[in-house]
Amino acid sequence: MDNKGALDKASFQELYQKHANFAIRTAIAITRNPEIAKDAVQETFIRVYRHLSSYDASLPFEPWLYRILVNECNRLLKEESKMPAYHHPDLENDERISSPSGGHAADLVETIQSMEDLYRIPLILKYIKGFSEKEIADILELNQNTVKSRLFKGRQNLRQLLEIAEQEAELDEKYR
Amino acid sequence: MKNIDDRAKKALMDKTSEAGQLEQEIWSRLENELFTEPQTAARKVKSMKKKVLPLIIAAAAGILIAFSFQTETGMALIDRIKEMFVPEKEVVQSIEGMDEETNVQLNEGKDAEYVIYIDEERYKMIKGEGDRPDVITTKEELPENFPEVSMTIEQIPDTAPDTLVSQYEEELTLEFPELRPVEQVTEPVEGYQLHGIQNGGQKWDDEVVHAYVISNGKEGSFVITERYFLEAAEGHGARFYAMLQEFQILE
Repeated sequence: MDNKGALDKASFQELYQKHANFAIRTAIAITRNPEIAKDAVQETFIRVYRHLSSYDASLPFEPWLYRILVNECNRLLKEESKMPAYHHPDLENDERISSPSGGHAADLVETIQSMEDLYRIPLILKYIKGFSEKEIADILELNQNTVKSRLFKGRQNLRQLLEIAEQEAELDEKYR
Repeated sequence: MKNIDDRAKKALMDKTSEAGQLEQEIWSRLENELFTEPQTAARKVKSMKKKVLPLIIAAAAGILIAFSFQTETGMALIDRIKEMFVPEKEVVQSIEGMDEETNVQLNEGKDAEYVIYIDEERYKMIKGEGDRPDVITTKEELPENFPEVSMTIEQIPDTAPDTLVSQYEEELTLEFPELRPVEQVTEPVEGYQLHGIQNGGQKWDDEVVHAYVISNGKEGSFVITERYFLEAAEGHGARFYAMLQEFQILE
């Protein structure tokens, strides 16, 4: 399985630079924890480097990369949950997100992050990297219709939240 | 819906904006892990040093093994062969890219068929009773959600490797549809190698089978089957490989 030497450093660095930013964003959103996200992205690219020979070049690269990434995030979160309680700064407790000045943007992220993983992760993949339903289905190894349904329900939740927030804003304006 | 999509995308992008600052830090870690030269050089030197002792032992044992096949006093000679193997020694293994010095202990297989050195701090040998093969497995039981980690060693005295490997390939393909084509190898043992991963090897716990079918020095074969999981390929997989480098058939 070891594929060292199959990709030289310059080519690997180019591949990393091309994909790292969105991969890190996705990992931060999934893990809600930048420290775990760093480990997940590092492990993902190590796997990509070492197992490039098992990648079927006739298939798109990104779903393969993100499948590894999502699995790594889940694996590390699982490991983390077995460890004794230790507080990490996370997205939900991050002041930049939870402070009132965050406004609706914060509410939207909080709503996404409060959903179950089966809705949350497809939405993160859709919004951050812009993956299609088929690509998300490939990444999560799900049926495309299942992904479609989960995205639909997730977006419904978001819409409801947005409507409530807007109604509250109108009332505030009216009775100020 | 589009308005919501745009706003959700923007919100998530805003809240993950530190990604840019982390890119270089992660690259530095990757560079250190994958492209640091001194480790590679050190590993080569140690690997060469490591091979010398087993080669001397194997050569000496080989002479005695060949003699034992042709004499009535084979068993007595086997005892002498076993005496030639030190009960404990230190080997250098490359585990997850790092050299590791490990003490290994001599273990004798079922019916004194072979000897193998085992890192008894991590593994134990369960001798097979009756038709059951010997099994080397982790000393500490793995958590429930971990796939099996083991190496079984079984002698099939009446079937030659050429015949047996095809049968075994067929058998393993049922469990591992993406089994790689059989390869002939000379390391860590000389014979046929089979390798398969479940589900294309995408998840950390995808099961891996790595097997060898080798001659028993007569008309039969030894079948050695390693089972572990993808994440453990460079841990348990590498340790099994190191153990097999010390594998010696006695009769």
